[in-house]
Amino acid sequence: MDKLYSLSATSMKELLDKKEVSSVEITKSVIDRIEKTDKEINAYISYNFENALKQAETVDEKRAKGETVGVLAGIPVAVKDNICVKNLKVTCASKMLENFVAPYNATVVEKLYANDAIIIGKTTMDEFAMGSSGENSALAIAKNPWDTQRVPGGSSSGSAATVAASQVPFALGSDTGGSIRQPSALTGLVGMKPTYGAVSRYGLVAFASSLDQIGPMARTVDDTAMLFGAICGKDNKDATSKNYTFEGYTDSVKGMRIGVPKEYYGEGVNPIVKEKVYAALETLKAQGAEIVDITLPSTDYALSAYYIIACAEAASNLGRYDGVKCGYSGNRTAGLDEMYESTRSEGFGDEVKRRIMLGTYVLSSGYYDAYYKRAKVLQQSIAKEFEDAFKLCDVILTPTSPTTSFKFGEKSSNPVEMYAGDICTVTVNIAGLPGINVPCGFDSNNLPIGFQIIGKKFRESDILTVAKCYENTVGGFAVKEF
Amino acid sequence: MEINIKHIAKLAKLSIPEDKISKFETEMEDIIKMVENLPEITSESALVDVNNTMELREDVVIPSSPRDEMIMNAPQTAAGCILIPKVVE
Repeated sequence: MDKLYSLSATSMKELLDKKEVSSVEITKSVIDRIEKTDKEINAYISYNFENALKQAETVDEKRAKGETVGVLAGIPVAVKDNICVKNLKVTCASKMLENFVAPYNATVVEKLYANDAIIIGKTTMDEFAMGSSGENSALAIAKNPWDTQRVPGGSSSGSAATVAASQVPFALGSDTGGSIRQPSALTGLVGMKPTYGAVSRYGLVAFASSLDQIGPMARTVDDTAMLFGAICGKDNKDATSKNYTFEGYTDSVKGMRIGVPKEYYGEGVNPIVKEKVYAALETLKAQGAEIVDITLPSTDYALSAYYIIACAEAASNLGRYDGVKCGYSGNRTAGLDEMYESTRSEGFGDEVKRRIMLGTYVLSSGYYDAYYKRAKVLQQSIAKEFEDAFKLCDVILTPTSPTTSFKFGEKSSNPVEMYAGDICTVTVNIAGLPGINVPCGFDSNNLPIGFQIIGKKFRESDILTVAKCYENTVGGFAVKEF
Repeated sequence: MEINIKHIAKLAKLSIPEDKISKFETEMEDIIKMVENLPEITSESALVDVNNTMELREDVVIPSSPRDEMIMNAPQTAAGCILIPKVVE
């Protein structure tokens, strides 16, 4: 069977269950595909081919013996390089951690293994997950398969690129302010940021601990849900994780109330993006959904609150990179302070430094009340507004990214312009809600556009139901021939 | 808003090369201008989300990671310990 690599995880699973194909065959096809295409796409920081083939053999043996296998048995998955896989490097695409080998597995990785998934490699990203284009990677800059002159979005740039280029059926990303949903929008994928606490963060290198979540990225809704179902749930190693059973989803939006907040359809959103998102709303309306106008007035302040809170937490979290316990170490001959400074100045890239300095500034004496405290109060207002809105509707539909993919270098010299691209996604992290990107067409350059569905806490079922209904109605999502 | 980038960098244990200071300063001023856009606090808020409390697990002794695995990523080690530059005379 040729082109095994291009199948969805759901189709792979069917063939594997029927024993029409082996995991070794699928894994070899995926490896071959990556070897042929990754020079151009550049989605990975490290490959795990040898181990993957061994794992595939083990899963095939288990199946042959009639042993019970997990839901992801024999299916290749890529993992973002800020998630620990024991004995593999976890670099966060930073010079700081270029040679750091994970001494343990993240809980999501334990769950992948428990479900017999095949880990194919570690994908590139913006350094420490800080960025919206993938350009801040110190180790590998991934390209958008729809146009390799353009960015795949970020920070989960490699996970988006590898799935969009049909190198693997799905991948894990992480999302602090849109890092799963925005690259999914820019590469035509389904990508979900779960409710804060739905998935364990143990073994995810921390950026902003109160906002970070790990989640799935795939080419279909079923694959997204399959991967999510395998990784969610309470973990004693993450005190913020919650008991949670994923209930599954349907494909009917009949009677469902979809809220449309006008604040997300403002001037900053590209007209073609608005047009396609409105068209998607019409499609869902025709399927029996009720469209409700809602308002989320604090949205205007969301970017401020997000960048203050995220950077304050980042400044604190990244304080651990001191050249002592792990990672890059600078000048060790002049004294302790000199070692700290040279380690951090040489180990971190400019964007990471900017965010550490912003975080340091907003937390510094005399500024705390003006920035951090106000941002935290605003966080509560934003969460409250969502709560009130969800009395009027079941889900909320917005654009995911105000623009389609842009060219390399186009925004990288202007941090504020880059940050503005996160306007539609950051509120979801601030309020701890689940959000999913769903592809809904193309602009005049044939670049993907996506809409975002936001759900109530722990109602991944609702947003997946809307996504599935839309996918069925439009007859599936386009895949880039690459 | 004037930003003293050298001071902030020092607090963050970073050193910014002279030729990059003005670039960082301008960028930081733009970023601060963006995040300054916040409403005044009108309510007394405890800043604690009462609906989102953390569950504590029982304090039970469990095996921890082996020492050699925990220090294998340290830049310099000796006799099972992490080495740092001399800090006292």
